[in-house]
Amino acid sequence: MVSDMGYAGVKKRIKALFSPSSTEAELDVLQESFRNRYQSFRALLTANNNALEIMAEMEQALVLGQPFGMAFVRGHCTAVSVNVYKMIQSLEVLSDGKYNGLFSSFRDISEKMEEILARQPEVPEGRLVVPLSEVGKDDADLVGDKMANLGEVRNRVGLRVPEGFVITATATQRFMRASGLQDEINRLLKQLDLDDLESLYSTSAQIQKLISFAPIPQQLVQQIEEHYELLYSAGEPRPHISMRSSAMEEDKSNVSFAGQYRTQLNISEDFILQTYKDIVASKYQSQAIIYRNQRGFRHQDVIMCVGCMTMVDAVVSGVMFSRSPRNPRSRWVEINAAHGLASQVVVGSIDTDFYKVEREIPNEIVQQDAAGSSPILSADRLRELAAIAARLEEHFGVPQDIEWSIDRNGDVIILQSRPLAQPQVAEAATDEQMSANHGDSALLSGGLTASTGVASGPVFVVRSNVDLLEFPIGAVLVVEHSLPEWASLLNRAVAVISEKGHVATHLAIVAREFGIPAIFGLSGAARKLENGVVVTVDATGRCVYSGRNEEILKRTAPRPNLMADSPVYLLLTEIMSLVVPLNLTDPGSPYFKSTLCKTLHDVTRFCHEKAVTEMFSFGEKARFDARSAKQLGGDIPFQWWVIDLDDGFRQSFDTHGKYVHMQDIVSEPMLAIWEGMTAKPWKGPPPLSLKGFGSVLFRSTMNPSLEPSVGTSMGTKNYFLISKNFCNLSMRLGYHFTLAEAYLGSHLTENYVSFQFRGGAADRSRRFVRVFLLRDILEKFGFRVEVKHDSLTARIEKKEKEKLIEGLKVLGYLLIHTRQIDMAMGEQDMVDHYRQSITVDLESILSPDAVAG
Amino acid sequence: MERKINILLVDDEIDFLEITAKRLARRGYEVKTASSCSEGLKVFEASPVDVVVLDVMLPDTDGIHCLKEIKKMFPSTAVILLTGHASMEAGLECMDSGASDYCLKPVEFDELVDRIEIVYRDMNSQGSCSS
Repeated sequence: MVSDMGYAGVKKRIKALFSPSSTEAELDVLQESFRNRYQSFRALLTANNNALEIMAEMEQALVLGQPFGMAFVRGHCTAVSVNVYKMIQSLEVLSDGKYNGLFSSFRDISEKMEEILARQPEVPEGRLVVPLSEVGKDDADLVGDKMANLGEVRNRVGLRVPEGFVITATATQRFMRASGLQDEINRLLKQLDLDDLESLYSTSAQIQKLISFAPIPQQLVQQIEEHYELLYSAGEPRPHISMRSSAMEEDKSNVSFAGQYRTQLNISEDFILQTYKDIVASKYQSQAIIYRNQRGFRHQDVIMCVGCMTMVDAVVSGVMFSRSPRNPRSRWVEINAAHGLASQVVVGSIDTDFYKVEREIPNEIVQQDAAGSSPILSADRLRELAAIAARLEEHFGVPQDIEWSIDRNGDVIILQSRPLAQPQVAEAATDEQMSANHGDSALLSGGLTASTGVASGPVFVVRSNVDLLEFPIGAVLVVEHSLPEWASLLNRAVAVISEKGHVATHLAIVAREFGIPAIFGLSGAARKLENGVVVTVDATGRCVYSGRNEEILKRTAPRPNLMADSPVYLLLTEIMSLVVPLNLTDPGSPYFKSTLCKTLHDVTRFCHEKAVTEMFSFGEKARFDARSAKQLGGDIPFQWWVIDLDDGFRQSFDTHGKYVHMQDIVSEPMLAIWEGMTAKPWKGPPPLSLKGFGSVLFRSTMNPSLEPSVGTSMGTKNYFLISKNFCNLSMRLGYHFTLAEAYLGSHLTENYVSFQFRGGAADRSRRFVRVFLLRDILEKFGFRVEVKHDSLTARIEKKEKEKLIEGLKVLGYLLIHTRQIDMAMGEQDMVDHYRQSITVDLESILSPDAVAG
Repeated sequence: MERKINILLVDDEIDFLEITAKRLARRGYEVKTASSCSEGLKVFEASPVDVVVLDVMLPDTDGIHCLKEIKKMFPSTAVILLTGHASMEAGLECMDSGASDYCLKPVEFDELVDRIEIVYRDMNSQGSCSS
């Protein structure tokens, strides 16, 4: 980089040079200054190329719905702003500091972006520990969603829940602050590569260990102990408690976080503090890290609260859904039940009874599948449970997923009630589909549909954590038990088959959420299916077929956009409002100012426009260099000026004349555009209907600036600004303003073709139709196209020279052949006619590869 | 290529460092590596290079410091920052400190080679132009 002093010096010398007494030596200096500018210009173009590519990647992330985390958002924000900044730096050099107002506009935008990136979740300064008897739904920001809901069940619905208390978000935040670990944790997470399972598991273990060894602040220790004391009366034995994670942002209707965090049962007094830390640490379990990434949650948005409740001496426990999780319109409650604790049911470690009970009185029993010799639950009990499910759904307003136990006194106790994750109605499977079991030709059939859908991939059986590390992307996960920890593979697996387990397990819930087909309870699967063998899983019809079964795979449903409306998605959307919208579209407008740049895109647009103007005027001014500005001579349509920035004219070209001819031009992109322009003769203006012509007249009277004779200094001429690798073509023909630009070098990073098109003489609707026609054609030839009102921008970047040359020929052709067709865009026949004739022409001009691409 | 471009890679990701160095050497570049800022500066001091490819988040002290030291010693050395997670503030500070390019990790190998060639070319032509 050259210092400011250096520039001031050069500037002084240049001024002196324009006096008639310039010497040869001084002219050399000027020539050198011109070269320096050209180099800054090229750096600006490359930074522009990079910035626009990064912006496109950010936009794509929002559209595609592929998971992305904060690392993606931060990395891209930095990369895009660095490139935009480089453009400003380059323009500064090019223009001798003429546009330094850009720095403050850029600073305003980047500061706003940083502010959004640095935003922290708001945690209320509340109590450290709160008894469950004082908790309701509105306390979710203090006690987490799970405990807030349970408090609601106890205090507002009036159902029985275990007695207990919650260690709040305020407490956990204090604990983490006192530990001083957050910076180290953030550093470890930033370096984490989610595609590398080994790094995932080791980072996860490392972070959990750090938290588990940190001391708890004394004030919190004291309050936990005090609240524990309240759980029993004098003389009674000190109770064991269950400790449950209750994270912020958990248990929303579309994000379950099912089984992502730890729940510990039967904790004696001595282990409460350690267990608290372990549960806080479980925020960083590998499956939870993956889950947050898939669902667009920032790690810092999730603050762990911990519910501490007396143990229920459970005789029977289970999970029930107030409606079918696969069909939101179902009229029955689904109940899973087993002897003992509810936790065994949700992790899928035991076989359960399954019941379907009508939601409405008299709550008829629709289905009853006992795991053992006789059903565990009586008809009365089933009716009682179904009524509870319906009541909870009514209270919370959405279908519920409920964990319950029945204690030795025969009382039903609710352990959890959260919104049930369900597919959209359109995606819900019908009962007919569910029973469409084509067992004959199948390798395996039976089991339960834990998550509907079809998929195909090679089998990979996971029995241990070692297998876990080897799990390939795109494989069918086959396991014996549907344990929640296998959820860390659900971003890699295309389908899940489990020998045990049922639809109420956490793994099933997450599979449904991720839209991954899953069959559970398919006995013998792990033994019968061999690693590496490709199978097709039809989870809806509960069959596994050998090989890829294309007929069945036709039914593959699109993957749900798991990111939409997640915190990270919304954050990126907010940031994009400072990056992408283009407000500075018309360089001729008085509002085209550096101080009016509102987005990074505006800054790039402004820098690019001014850089071209600077190069243009410097080249035009530089009469000292006889090579630089010439009129294009020969028998050609329109008048063209050509300004050579560096090496765009043939070396042997005689520089003394006023004209330059095509045979003296060696600029590859200009030659390509020219080839496209002249490949086919122009058929003349389209036949005008009176209506079309009327609209042109009307527009002329409304907007005199569109008169070709009233242009800006650059607007009055058509010119090519060229070097051997570069060409910028600015064209104002009639009412249209067009800009085509390209750099074709040996480095892909620098290469691009861009195109801007605006205006037209006809009325709005005709101009719009033409812009859409252009869009369709350009997209067909590999351009990324954006349309705003009647203006269009198109771009291809970082591609091989050969491909870009074809793109330039397309542009050259379109420049000539579409300039007046807007007037004919009133009738669909004409639109179709032009679409057809343009396509035929282009196909004859281009190489067959380009047409196919 | 008239003469081999000398490259110094500084990154604490040893796998990335080794593989990238090997691939660059195979393309005909002269490559040195360092896994920390202090090691990088030592290598650089002993024999300066044309292009430094630098991770911004180095364990001992950050890459910005490394960048500044290199530019102090040899202003004409081109420095490419290669990182996945520098803050915007750090990224802009790097540009103010004379970084030639900023690359987002993970980067395609061919694109990295491209960028090395470009900054080397620009550094050289600038050297020949400036007085």
